[in-house]
Amino acid sequence: MSKSKKKASKEWEPNIVTFCCNWCSYAGADLAGVSRFQYPPNIRIIRVMCSGRVDPTFLLKALKDGADGVLLSGCHIGDCHYISGNEYTDERFKKLHKIIIKQLGIDEKRVRLEWVSASEGKRWSEVVTEFTNQIKKLGPFKKSN
Amino acid sequence: MEGSVLVIGGGIAGIQISLDLTELGFKVYLVEKTPSIGGRMAQLDKTFPTLDCSLCILAPKMVEVFRNPNIELMTYHEVLKVTGDPGNFTATILKKPRYIDEEKCKGCGECAAKCPKIMAPNPFEMNIGKRKSAYIPFPQAVPPIYLIDSEMCLYLTKGVCQVCKKACPADAIDFEQQPQEFDIKVGAVVVATGFEMPAEKLSSRWGYRFKNVVSGLEYERILCASGPFGGHVIRLSDEKEPEVIAFIQCAGSRDLHEDVPFCSSVCCTYTAKQAIITQEHSENSSCYVFRHDIRAYGKNFYEFTQRAQEEYGVIYFQSKISTIEEDPETNDLIIRYEDLKSGEFKVFRANLVVLQSPLVPSKGVKELGAALNIDLDRYNFFQEKSYFEKLSSSRDGVYLCGFCQGPMDIPETVADASGVAAQIADQLSSVKYTQVKEKVFEIAEKQVKLTDEPRIGVMVCHCGINIGNYVDVPKVAEYVKTLPNVVVCEANLYSCSSDSQIRIKELIAEHDLNRFIVASCTPRTHESLFQETCQEAGLNKYLFELVNIRDQCSWVHMTEKEAATEKAIDLIRMHVSKSRLLQPQMEHKIDITHTALVIGGGISGMSAALNTANQGFKTYLVEKEKELGGNLKYLNVLYPVHKNASELLNETKDKVEKNNNIQLFLNAKIESIKGYVGNYDVSILDSDNKVQELKIGTIIVATGGQEHKPDGLFEYNEKNTNVITQMELEQRLNGKDKSWLDGVKRVTIMLCVNARQKKGITYCSNICCATSIKNVKILKELKPDLEIVVLYRDLQMAKKEFEDYYRERRKDAIFLRYDLERLPEIKKKGNKPEKYGIKMFDTNLQDNMEFETDLLVLATPMVPADNLKELAMMLKVPLDKNGFFLEAHVKLRPLDFATDGIFLCGCAQWPKNIQDSIAQANGAAGRASRFLSADKITTSGLVAAVIPEKCIGCGKCVDVCPYNAISLTEEIMEFEDISMTIKKSSINSALCKGCGTCAATCPVGAISVKHYDFNQINTMIDSYLLEKIETREDA
Repeated sequence: MSKSKKKASKEWEPNIVTFCCNWCSYAGADLAGVSRFQYPPNIRIIRVMCSGRVDPTFLLKALKDGADGVLLSGCHIGDCHYISGNEYTDERFKKLHKIIIKQLGIDEKRVRLEWVSASEGKRWSEVVTEFTNQIKKLGPFKKSN
Repeated sequence: MEGSVLVIGGGIAGIQISLDLTELGFKVYLVEKTPSIGGRMAQLDKTFPTLDCSLCILAPKMVEVFRNPNIELMTYHEVLKVTGDPGNFTATILKKPRYIDEEKCKGCGECAAKCPKIMAPNPFEMNIGKRKSAYIPFPQAVPPIYLIDSEMCLYLTKGVCQVCKKACPADAIDFEQQPQEFDIKVGAVVVATGFEMPAEKLSSRWGYRFKNVVSGLEYERILCASGPFGGHVIRLSDEKEPEVIAFIQCAGSRDLHEDVPFCSSVCCTYTAKQAIITQEHSENSSCYVFRHDIRAYGKNFYEFTQRAQEEYGVIYFQSKISTIEEDPETNDLIIRYEDLKSGEFKVFRANLVVLQSPLVPSKGVKELGAALNIDLDRYNFFQEKSYFEKLSSSRDGVYLCGFCQGPMDIPETVADASGVAAQIADQLSSVKYTQVKEKVFEIAEKQVKLTDEPRIGVMVCHCGINIGNYVDVPKVAEYVKTLPNVVVCEANLYSCSSDSQIRIKELIAEHDLNRFIVASCTPRTHESLFQETCQEAGLNKYLFELVNIRDQCSWVHMTEKEAATEKAIDLIRMHVSKSRLLQPQMEHKIDITHTALVIGGGISGMSAALNTANQGFKTYLVEKEKELGGNLKYLNVLYPVHKNASELLNETKDKVEKNNNIQLFLNAKIESIKGYVGNYDVSILDSDNKVQELKIGTIIVATGGQEHKPDGLFEYNEKNTNVITQMELEQRLNGKDKSWLDGVKRVTIMLCVNARQKKGITYCSNICCATSIKNVKILKELKPDLEIVVLYRDLQMAKKEFEDYYRERRKDAIFLRYDLERLPEIKKKGNKPEKYGIKMFDTNLQDNMEFETDLLVLATPMVPADNLKELAMMLKVPLDKNGFFLEAHVKLRPLDFATDGIFLCGCAQWPKNIQDSIAQANGAAGRASRFLSADKITTSGLVAAVIPEKCIGCGKCVDVCPYNAISLTEEIMEFEDISMTIKKSSINSALCKGCGTCAATCPVGAISVKHYDFNQINTMIDSYLLEKIETREDA
């Protein structure tokens, strides 16, 4: 916390749309804050009650709008506050990933599904850091637009 | 009988009791002698171990008290006497003059601004800061009204001035006010008067007379962002940043030569907290802690003290202080101490010294005790009825809670508060709901139509420095003002304070707003507070949005102010976009089943079941074993009162078995749990292997814990009969046959076996030390010539009873201290009789010791019960990293799960002793019975709904709904001359929990999820990505 890292001013920074379920991942992200686990500032979290709410079209829309990466996070399988919502998320996401992303020619590394629980503040910061670095490596999704 | 309760003391204990009591159907008179509720917790900077901002988690509760129509708040009042009997007390109350009419005062502060007298010391700032004679104790005070200090006011002391009278726009100044006495009738009384931290007696040896020596509570104010120095760590002599800060633990306590012989129980952990915060606040400082034992008493607190050392570089000295003197030239402090790790006498120079002085009962407890006719103990804490009934005082119908009964931390206080509420609900169960009224909003809800132009108000919070230091709040606010439909945007210090709630309502009214946004902490803790404020202003609560710019922004980007500011701007813009599309929503009421299920039949489970049953609710108690009792079955006698465990067990068991409201399932297993709060369907496999289906309203988890078996460590294995665990010793002591002691000349008890270490079990399980001390006494009584050796690292003797308990045993055993770096070596030396050789380094004597022992007792930590994962999965609740159940919030919701309707208590939450288990069980029962006491439960407006025109009746949504809330209905459609039957799905909003899985499943987008609808989420994505360019140029 002592030394401030000054970023080069014109360096490209990715935009990452993030969906969190209210009960696990959003709480995990809050815990990262409470614990002051630092991570890169590139994500914008959109809170939904359950990861099961996240329609694949939201992910595609984010990419179309110019997001460089999309992260979707919910409760671990078995922990879902709504019993089984995340199982459908998992199923839908796999379909989206395997078929649509590949057909559209988008690098599948840009869209990720993670399970982060309410007690995994540390893990949340690690997941975000790692994903942000990965997107940085991939570079901008759309160079112009 | 009276359905009302008098609560004395408005700290966190009194606040929690009052809130719980109203939910259980009682009217509360909350009397606080100072001008505001909040107590000590309001003075704290942050709270351990999560480092939550203390006021941030407290303020919403204070505001809740203020708004609750069933709490009559009497601040600046005192209780003079209480007469009568349980159920029918008469209390005489004194109302002290504020010299400001509380009905008229709007809290604007003009009186204080104009008041010329500026010299009054400010007790809220521990007298470090100053205040005017006309004042409010602190900005977030509840009630948010001013008063005049009669001892300082120029007019009241000298008859001149009255400037405030002219300045007050509300004409509220009233110098004619006189003290008033009046009576109220109540059914029960609770005493929750807390503690204070006087340091004056630490002047000589501990150096409190020097400017740069402060007490722990004074330092708390120095650290606090809203404190006298705005959170800059400075020392008083020269207002410079100290580089070397020394924290002295146990200053003036735990010593017969001092006034305070007991351990204050919370200092070890809050010292670690203060050191961590200091390191965060000031880059150049280094923190040193002079410690005695580490007694971090509570869940994960020991690890927290380790974190301070490992992650933040705080240095701990195991030491004994001789003197603290001042260097007159530099005002530095010279600490002379004995280093207990090396045995050397050393000198240490510090720029600032923080004395963790003892926490003692508040002033006036003797008078209050006399007024209430209740006993004090030898330390001037209020005496509990018996050791195992710590929530009751010596007088029936008068209850105790929090620090006034004995040292305890905030989670324990909060748990006990719920326990007191539960016991009162038991005592006064026949008069529930006789004196309460329902909350009504004075302003009728404003009709907001889809076609109305959105008028959005935004408030951006500094959260002290929590946001303000890392996000450029004024810049954010300026930007937000430029967004379409934003009519007004203001920045403020604390959005959660009661004056801010008033401001929000003013803004809504002044600007005719139909949407409101607060950008602050997290909706998980504060959304409901702001929603209620909106409701009070006539705005449907679903027209409110909270933007998280603290937990998920300022706190996680502390070194990147520019980027954090940009992120905050993006997030608010996204929510403004969503806000434009928000619609008002309706809430529904659903029926509940008025039954409780208690899982686990140990002392916690039995106590919880007894409480809910006594309140009149049918309670099912499920135990996996053949008999009730849990761990209590295996204990011999109970510390520190040396009551036979079997006696307590039989008394409790008897009550459970005779209670008509309790149905017992022994030797039973829970097969499945389905449903939701108020309406659970639980299948139990009973002792005859028959499945029993139960309808349950609420669930209490009391699955207990078990002793860790140290297999393979220190000669503990099947072959060695004389290396045993503490629990095995209990069982031997409990048995009639004591021949196992015959050949034994020396017993060695080793503490912290496989505990408090970096790998494996990292925590301190809090109870083993006292258990060992107890067994020293029992062994000595059984065999007076027995030699007993205790190998310890630190002695966990927190709580008021245990320091003396230990002191009295010192003569009965030889206490040798070891440390983790040099673990004792234990080798078997002989078989018949068994003999063990022990080689160890005693850090007290600084010498190697070698001796033999006949019996070795290993004190190992308590671990969670087996197979909790399976139960956790059924309940959909989380376990923590050690495998205990994880509560909703470790500080203020210690007995709740995040999931409504499920609660926890006892060792399922964390290792604890019998006293705490019983108190906590009552607390969990209290929390649970809030649901059962209500007629119906109000459901959320956040539900899904089908758009019939779009629905194709495929039924996919029906398959995915976990709550069976969706069904397919048949409709007849008429086309000119043909009529056909089509299917449409429909959603029962009472059963829907709003997860939205159906909406994401529907192939044609025919389901809308209220508050999280397609257009609302899409517009957030658009707003983030497509409107971003402008802000970047802007930024």
